[in-house]
Amino acid sequence: MKVAVGMDIGSTTAKCVLLREGEIIGRSLNPVGVDIVRDADRALQLALQDAHLDRGDVGFTTGTGYGRFKIQFGQLAVTEISCHARGAHFLFPKTRLVVDIGGQDTKAIRVNERGEVVDFAMNDKCAAGTGRFLDVCAGALGLDVADIGPLSLNSRHPVRVTSTCTVFAESEVTSYVSRGKEPQDILAGLHASIANRSLSLLQRVGIEPEVTFTGGVSRNEGMVRALSQRLGLPVNVSPLSQYMGAIGAALVGEERLHGGAS
Amino acid sequence: MITCGLDLGSGSVKGALLEGGTKLLRTAAVPTRGNAANAGQQVLERLTEEENLLPGELQYVCTTGFGRYMFPARQLQVSDITSSARGAHFLHPATRHVVDIGAQSSRAISITETGRVVKFKMNEKCAAGAGRFVERCSKYLQVPLEEMSGKALHSQQPKLISSVCAVLAETEIINNVAEGVPLPDILMGIYLSLAQRAQALMRYVGLQPDVTLVGGLVHSPAMVKALEGTAKLPVHADEQGHFAAAIGAALLGYQRAQKLASGATSSSTPTDAALVSSGGA
Repeated sequence: MKVAVGMDIGSTTAKCVLLREGEIIGRSLNPVGVDIVRDADRALQLALQDAHLDRGDVGFTTGTGYGRFKIQFGQLAVTEISCHARGAHFLFPKTRLVVDIGGQDTKAIRVNERGEVVDFAMNDKCAAGTGRFLDVCAGALGLDVADIGPLSLNSRHPVRVTSTCTVFAESEVTSYVSRGKEPQDILAGLHASIANRSLSLLQRVGIEPEVTFTGGVSRNEGMVRALSQRLGLPVNVSPLSQYMGAIGAALVGEERLHGGAS
Repeated sequence: MITCGLDLGSGSVKGALLEGGTKLLRTAAVPTRGNAANAGQQVLERLTEEENLLPGELQYVCTTGFGRYMFPARQLQVSDITSSARGAHFLHPATRHVVDIGAQSSRAISITETGRVVKFKMNEKCAAGAGRFVERCSKYLQVPLEEMSGKALHSQQPKLISSVCAVLAETEIINNVAEGVPLPDILMGIYLSLAQRAQALMRYVGLQPDVTLVGGLVHSPAMVKALEGTAKLPVHADEQGHFAAAIGAALLGYQRAQKLASGATSSSTPTDAALVSSGGA
């Protein structure tokens, strides 16, 4: 049986998921550079390798993410908003609110019981509150962005980050370092500041449980905790949360695949 | 009477010495480097030394800028809006509209024919549209800051930046470099993006001639050209425009000292609010 391919080309990484009969059988994640066409191709190749399949097994390819129109082998392009909603609903069927924090944008998506988008709000104008914000600030602390989540969980006295702008927050981080603040306390402050920013976006669409957190930043445990604390609600996070857009795209594709066959 | 204005900014501390509230004697600037008080002291020392002032000859020090409360040896502090307006008016009396682009903030101020503030709009939340953005561009494009403007003026087809955010613009600019866009076009795009941010503030307070640019970008003809393009008005930029707020502070300090000497005001602690009335007429 042919597989449905979901390909999410984000600002930072390309995610690819292979779906067969509602089951994820292969996936890949690799960084995106200037040559998106090549990166998309590579993402598919890696996912097929992961599932021990080849291109002949591909039945339908759906692209999503900001680079979706550059996928040359795709049959359909769907917005990442629909895809994150679909993906979140697939993994957590009781999801009513999706928080997607990616490399360069943040989205709040309210979904109904069928996983359809009811309302959404997004910030794609400014790096504040996105993965990029954490990248820049981790850099100012001389840390790898992958390490900041666990480290921030040790914080006892989080600092208060007042800058909204990423550029100014970077200076604020530097000045906290020079004042002898611990990295974990600075990181916890940064996470709280992003949670605050997300909250205003979430309030615009309405907060309703269950809340599912998706996108690359959801891999950061410190961020998950900060968001959950700020919301006063538990937050669903899947180990596959970074693939949520790609999963949603593959689900759309699988529907087409079987819709066409019947 | 000699008065000194110190503009304690986030990028640098600027100082101006004024004689009798009319004659600009000398200016000096020192990078802030995270210690505004220290940099302010250096500027003050340099000014008094270079001007060969005797102890007691400098009668009044008035501070302005974000660090105006951090400098202990001051008699008065004034808001940067007031001082910037006064300074621009001092340098170019026909000014009715001041565009002040600093390292971390930018503002548009409309003023009366005597230099009083009518209305202002400020952006201090975001690095886009501030001098800091140009500094960052200079770093990652590896073009020395002082060469940016000159190179930009060679642009044939400026490459506009669609991102509003300084950080996202960085990615965009790097992509443009990768795609082979000529450097002058990229550089002019940077100045145009600053001009567009400024234009939003300028439109809010209402544009009217003469428009005067003050702040660190007065020595960048590309910035003046970009502003003139978006405002569709000539933009005046004075050699000493970088020191406008310091000059304004020295001037307001002079007026305050005059009033004190004539016994017109009480000796209560001066505040920004008090100054609006005392420095007004």
